[in-house]
Amino acid sequence: MTAAGFMGGLGVERGQAAEPTGNAIANIPIPLGAAAFRDVGSKFKITDMKVFGVSLTPDSDRPYVFVKFETNAGIVGWGESTLEGKAGAVMACVKDFREFIVGSDPMQVEHHWQSMYVHSFYRAGPVMGSAISGIDQALWDIRGKALGLPVYRLLGGPFDSRGVRGYYHASGRTREELARLRENLLKHGITCIKTGIPGSYEWIETHATLRRAVRSLETLREGIGPEIDIGVDFHAKTSPSVASILVKEVEPLNLLFVEEPCPPENVKAMARIAKRSTTPIATGERLIASYSCRELIELGVVDILQTDINHVGGITALWKVAAMAEASGITLAPHACEGPIGGLATLHVDAAIPNFLVQEVCSGIEPGPKEKVWEEWLGFPAMRMVNGRFPLPDKPGLGFDLSEAALKKYPFGGTRPMARVFHKDGSVAAW
Amino acid sequence: MRFQQSNLTHLNPIVSRRSRLAAATRAQTSAQPKASRRDDLEITDLRMFPLVEPVSRRRYTVLKVQTKSGIVGYGETVVVHPEDLELAKQLVLGRAATAYEVLRQGLAAFPSLQAAVNMALLDILGQFSRAPIYQFLGGPTRNKARVLMPLSGDSDGALVASLRGAQATGIRAFVVPTPASTAPNHGQSFVSVVRERLEALRTAGGEEVDFVLDAAGTLSPGDAASLAAALERFHLLWFDEPCRLTSLTALRKIASETVTPLGLGRHIYRSGDFQDLLREDAIDVLRPDLAMNGLTQIRKMAALAESYYVAVAPFHAGGPIGTAAALHLAASLPNFFIQQIPIPVAEADRKMRSDLVSGWEERAQEGFAPLPAGSGLGVTINEPALEKYRLADA
Repeated sequence: MTAAGFMGGLGVERGQAAEPTGNAIANIPIPLGAAAFRDVGSKFKITDMKVFGVSLTPDSDRPYVFVKFETNAGIVGWGESTLEGKAGAVMACVKDFREFIVGSDPMQVEHHWQSMYVHSFYRAGPVMGSAISGIDQALWDIRGKALGLPVYRLLGGPFDSRGVRGYYHASGRTREELARLRENLLKHGITCIKTGIPGSYEWIETHATLRRAVRSLETLREGIGPEIDIGVDFHAKTSPSVASILVKEVEPLNLLFVEEPCPPENVKAMARIAKRSTTPIATGERLIASYSCRELIELGVVDILQTDINHVGGITALWKVAAMAEASGITLAPHACEGPIGGLATLHVDAAIPNFLVQEVCSGIEPGPKEKVWEEWLGFPAMRMVNGRFPLPDKPGLGFDLSEAALKKYPFGGTRPMARVFHKDGSVAAW
Repeated sequence: MRFQQSNLTHLNPIVSRRSRLAAATRAQTSAQPKASRRDDLEITDLRMFPLVEPVSRRRYTVLKVQTKSGIVGYGETVVVHPEDLELAKQLVLGRAATAYEVLRQGLAAFPSLQAAVNMALLDILGQFSRAPIYQFLGGPTRNKARVLMPLSGDSDGALVASLRGAQATGIRAFVVPTPASTAPNHGQSFVSVVRERLEALRTAGGEEVDFVLDAAGTLSPGDAASLAAALERFHLLWFDEPCRLTSLTALRKIASETVTPLGLGRHIYRSGDFQDLLREDAIDVLRPDLAMNGLTQIRKMAALAESYYVAVAPFHAGGPIGTAAALHLAASLPNFFIQQIPIPVAEADRKMRSDLVSGWEERAQEGFAPLPAGSGLGVTINEPALEKYRLADA
């Protein structure tokens, strides 16, 4: 059967479909609820699900969790479920969803999303959100390959065919370092960077600490000049009281945003910071599903949403967050600090939403060992910008090929916690 | 931080021609990519067919979009001004059909054309991908779609007759107009008249038939509030357009005094306006007009509603191509509730609708319509019929 045959179409070959392997699905039970779609779904079936834990170094605190689906048409789909510090839990959660997905029609991604979210009863936290995210991305990869289009075209993009505007992480202390940084950014056509603030913060902070934090940003702005946008990640290590002071005092620096000025659970606490300053507030990397962004949008707290395609619920959920944000004039600058699959997946959404601002990648201006591995896996410099933009793939689906063999060199080294830091008195601090 | 401002203050269905032109110019001058890689999906022509039903005089416009590949897509909307079509052509010709979301933004100042272009481009992409539109959009989320049909008639007797006729279509839910409003604040007498009308219909239809009461924005907020409160135990599916959408305060008052669900939105063309209603707890059913929003825009409105646990029931008062598009939309959404289909009473009108789509029938079984089968819209448009029923003076 041709690809067209799988769609119930007229006989023109599209995508990468091959002969179905009928025997492979003979023994797979039909998932609950799938029979209702026998007459209206496609003839594609998911025949297997594989979950990979991948540690670039044996002691990595964020092993990648990749999800792969195989289908009766030879098409495979890849997605990413990486959850920093919780690799084992998320791998187990992906496996828990096996019987929701294997044996079903990969085309009905919205149905599967709803089924995983609603039928899990407790709705989603980060572990389940990340599991759903990887599965959702893999389904979109299959959908794009089956329909013969890159995912950003399925979503109606691209808004800019030159690619997706991005930023690297960068900083510098001395005037000389910053002058070199500026030169380097301009040379590469990079229009935005992100940095953090030094040290950890008590509930209320001293004059010395507050000045040090503000001065570090003043130095950065002076050093790199006015043309390059600066995002500053507070990483929720400041209390609302401390953040309110800092966010207000950095107003003259015209930052692109301050990110996570306090932890994300209490929207009104973040609102208290936001309403006393003109500095744009960005948040959202720890939020799961579009539901979690509603109050932030309603209360006018957030200017820029940063939901992460590997946690929020994949392409489906990131697109919905963007649609909600669009109605209030809020832009998106999605978080991406995990592996290359989620990074590439997020570019597809970025390219197809009108309210896209800028895309993160947790890399420096010069590629490091991690980026070399990504290139070795995918055959191209994934998540590296050209003239300040991430190029868009032209291939159907998410736009890359990955072999299981390539991952074997980096076996799962086990789950490790993320960085753990403490105050001077031994009490627990955030980083 | 941003000032939160009620979008409703801008709610004005009539966009001035000057602002449309300005928006069109802006959209043209912005750096938008032309179709480059998938040249075969480049849009080469737009044509419109203004149609009129012979008996009901219902008017709608079918838009035909052609691509270099030869794939042709169809969309539908309300009446389109020829000058607007020319402006839309400037924005759309030479662009890739795949850039449908980019083009939706570009055409935002022309809601009716935006909607029709969106449907037609999704029809093209479905055909290109050999997939029904609902599958292209990530569905199916359901295997059939619950449908709703407006009853017609000026009197209770005529509406009962209309209901008896309509039950043969297999539809089980009906829109009932409120009696003509003669003066604001009729009070109790008006409530009694409405109650009699609904009770006559329920007696005629039986317990298994459901109703939406449609005030079409004609009532005063006071009358709408009394009616909504008085009818709670009648269990309307919802009370549609209880009053005009001019004041959030009035709507909030109605919504806060009653548990009768409220439906609103046939004149809303922007997500932000729905966001205001949702934020104010003033809406239970989003009713964006298919002909003025198109599929993608309603999908975005639905995404918004989903986070409030609220459903979408698109309004549709046009032709059969719109109905087919609406069923695809229904099967792509998780929070779809019911789709309005305007099935005419007169046989000649029904024949026209069926002719336009080569015999495809707008029908239901036990309250649900089957999904169209086949790629794109899944219906075959009969071009000679488009010419035959073309509005003579257009």
